[in-house]
Amino acid sequence: MDRKYIGKRVVRNEDPRLLTGQAQFVDDVQFPGMLHAAFLRSEYAHARVLKVDVSKAREYPGVVAVFTAEDMGRDWFPGPPLVSPPPTVKDVIFHSRRQVPLVKDKVRHAGEAVAVVIAESRYIAEDAAEQIEVEYEPLEVVLDLEKALAADSPRVHDDLESNLAAQLFQKKGDYEAARKEAEVVIKRRIVIERGAAAAMENRGIVAQWDAKGRHLTVWDTTQAPIPIRNGLAARLGLSESQVRVIAPFIGGGFGPKIMMFYPEEMLIPWVAMKLNRPVKWIEDRRENFYATTQERGQVHDVEIALDRDGRILGIKDDFIHDTGAYDPYGLTIPINTQCHVMGGYDIKNFSSEFRVAFTNRIIATPVRGAGRPQGIFVIERMLDLAARELGMDAAEIRRRNLIQPHAFPYQHEIVDQAFAPLVLDSGNYPAVLDKALEMIGYEKFVKEEQPRLRKEGKYVGIAVAPFIETTGIGPYEGARVTVETSGRVNVATGIGTQGQGHFTSFAQVVAEQIGIKVSDVRVTTGDTSEFHWGTGTFASRGAVVAGNAVHAASSIVRGKILKLASKVLGAPEAELELEDGQVRIADIPQKSVSLGELAALANPLRGAVEPGTEPGLESTAYFGPQYGATAFGTHAMIVETDPETMMVKIRRYVVAEDCGTVLNPLILEGQIHGGVSMGLGNSYYEKLHYDENGQLLNASFADYLLVSSTEMPRIEVGHLETPSPLNELGTKGVGEAGAIPVPALFAQAVQNALHDRDFEILEMPLSPNGLFELLNKETE
Amino acid sequence: MKIEGEYTFDGPRETLWALVRDPDALAACVPGMQKVEKVSATEFTGEIVVRIGPLGGSFSGRVLISDEVPPVSCALTVEGLGKIGFAKGVGRIEMQEAPEGKTLMKYSGEAQIGGKVASVGQRLFDTVSKSMIKQGLDKLNDILKARAA
Repeated sequence: MDRKYIGKRVVRNEDPRLLTGQAQFVDDVQFPGMLHAAFLRSEYAHARVLKVDVSKAREYPGVVAVFTAEDMGRDWFPGPPLVSPPPTVKDVIFHSRRQVPLVKDKVRHAGEAVAVVIAESRYIAEDAAEQIEVEYEPLEVVLDLEKALAADSPRVHDDLESNLAAQLFQKKGDYEAARKEAEVVIKRRIVIERGAAAAMENRGIVAQWDAKGRHLTVWDTTQAPIPIRNGLAARLGLSESQVRVIAPFIGGGFGPKIMMFYPEEMLIPWVAMKLNRPVKWIEDRRENFYATTQERGQVHDVEIALDRDGRILGIKDDFIHDTGAYDPYGLTIPINTQCHVMGGYDIKNFSSEFRVAFTNRIIATPVRGAGRPQGIFVIERMLDLAARELGMDAAEIRRRNLIQPHAFPYQHEIVDQAFAPLVLDSGNYPAVLDKALEMIGYEKFVKEEQPRLRKEGKYVGIAVAPFIETTGIGPYEGARVTVETSGRVNVATGIGTQGQGHFTSFAQVVAEQIGIKVSDVRVTTGDTSEFHWGTGTFASRGAVVAGNAVHAASSIVRGKILKLASKVLGAPEAELELEDGQVRIADIPQKSVSLGELAALANPLRGAVEPGTEPGLESTAYFGPQYGATAFGTHAMIVETDPETMMVKIRRYVVAEDCGTVLNPLILEGQIHGGVSMGLGNSYYEKLHYDENGQLLNASFADYLLVSSTEMPRIEVGHLETPSPLNELGTKGVGEAGAIPVPALFAQAVQNALHDRDFEILEMPLSPNGLFELLNKETE
Repeated sequence: MKIEGEYTFDGPRETLWALVRDPDALAACVPGMQKVEKVSATEFTGEIVVRIGPLGGSFSGRVLISDEVPPVSCALTVEGLGKIGFAKGVGRIEMQEAPEGKTLMKYSGEAQIGGKVASVGQRLFDTVSKSMIKQGLDKLNDILKARAA
């Protein structure tokens, strides 16, 4: 289809405001008389709280109030469960233990909030918090995932019989039978550790209670303003219409900003109402390290069975997932892992049981990738080991196993995060693999350049890693599109934006239908007073689900425009075209009427509106997919490794991505670049170090190695488009795609570079130190 | 975190043993030590100001001495609590007579840290504690030499 706006490299509508400092972030919200909050957080990872003495803090000059769990009285109760476990899987075990607003009896991770101080300034609040005396009785900590599940382990939740938070088994075909026929069986343990999301902007909340108007307004760095509005109303005994939640410009979400409810998210509005004063809390970076959720900790015991030709006969993967101190986000992460262990490969036999363990670490909830990178790491590492065993080329073993284009829709069979057996809707996986190989010049490199460079003594390696990404799940999103009398178009949707470019991509979708300049479309996201139905920005679903709702509403508005214009211009609708904010007769372009004039005619001040019609050129529409669309991509890279310093230099990095219809390649490439940077962090730099007492030892950017511009390679992106049949636009998500295959790719490349060394990378993230130790183990 | 090392003092073992049980001598030699009080023959309390990179603050603490074999060895249990976190440790010191009237002290222990000291300061904790021990022992040696003279 010939498109005028969709798929074009349109520069972002929001950038001038962002680049000139004119965009509003939560911390920009100021009120006279506003109070500031600081939290006292536990220094212990696991301890009974014997006594909290806040008397000195209360007397501290400038302090307005101090609250402990005790002071909250009947308003103290754990947060709501966010996602329940899939009801469709047989014998699923799930123990829901939710985070609490302030610790009452027992601390379950270092950094858990024990008290909140409200003062005239943040400085005073912080100083007063230091005056609080807490008596703790330290308890033995639970950290190691296997030991956590042992019968004699200390328990994170005393009322449970063990630290088992959940258990779920899923299978497809008959793995044991497949294993008997296999010619190659490889079994390994793979250990994956945690990293931080490390968004540029930390969390922040401002709450303002208007006692006379009985109205609460909350500015929140959340990815899901509508559920926050609904939850706050329920908790605070207000009607939903009495609460407005605004998620303004946000400096990155990456998943942790959809953890509902964070203790602070419940407390700050509660305090604002209690004191009848506006209250602000802005998280600092250290708090972000141990009060904002993290992800990725898992231990896998995986076995792969293949025939001599490298065809995968089956996979068995049992793993333990670390949920931290609580499990508000249900099973989303381990289920995503389970659904990605087969990658984009046609595997007939699969068996996987995961157990989820409570530990004395910070709560784990999805971080960009959300369990998927672990699954892809597991399958890709095993394929690399299999290729080595069979003496087969890395690209070839993958090609032989990919799902073929004619097999779609492909019955994956494993129940996914949307609680239904996963179906892969569409794609052309071999074409994407070939595109990546062609872009990086795989053949030539392997046959000519690598041997030459190796002769020169250089440790150069190449890698290729395909992956699937389940995206765009329901339940639904909505949008309202209005043509205003100025001729401009106003759009509102319920999801929030944390930098994804919705103000532009959604405007392009509208422009395509209505024939108006992209810059003349004003998009509002994340304000419950503008649109109050929806779920949120997660699971790479904004462009798919909200994008299609915008498309649906725009199509209806287009119909209304055509109908009215046909009457005004005296020409049949089929002869009209919408362009440059005008409706004109295609053959007689000088006969036209502007969108603004039509909007005015549709909302007259006198006369009668026809019965059964609505005023204005406006529509509200919703979109809910039958099931999630699944994107596919392949990354490839060439690295050079220095076996002395263990530094890895990325010489080339290519991405071939098929996320269906591309709305805006510029935005899409930005998403991929950001994802790759996060993936590189997960590969070689970013690792949260907990000591044996559950203390996070690198809670600052001085110690936590965030990938910076010097580590980032130049990324070449190639697009393929297999439109999803599940929605009219044909879109699939891409928000997490960049991050998913990178650790698998990195490990493969480093192994390939150090081809003459006998070692196996079975962990992520690796680090220069870690690689050094691996190589030294080999020589021991 | 493990702490381990040895130090040769220029003075006799008996004098050194008496010194390490003297609150005034301890207050003088431990860097940043504000005061030391003797609660009993085996318990001292005190206050110390510590700087670890970007962090600084005072700790109030307690030292318990046990398993004493005068003047040869003893075990130490240390607990410190401050605005920037906490530290706990158990350790042992052993003193051997060395030639020329000198004394060799061997010390070893394990420390546990929490709060800001751990999350922000751990990278520097090791070097800071080593340098504090070195400074403290040098100073103690000076006092020992003065007394022995």
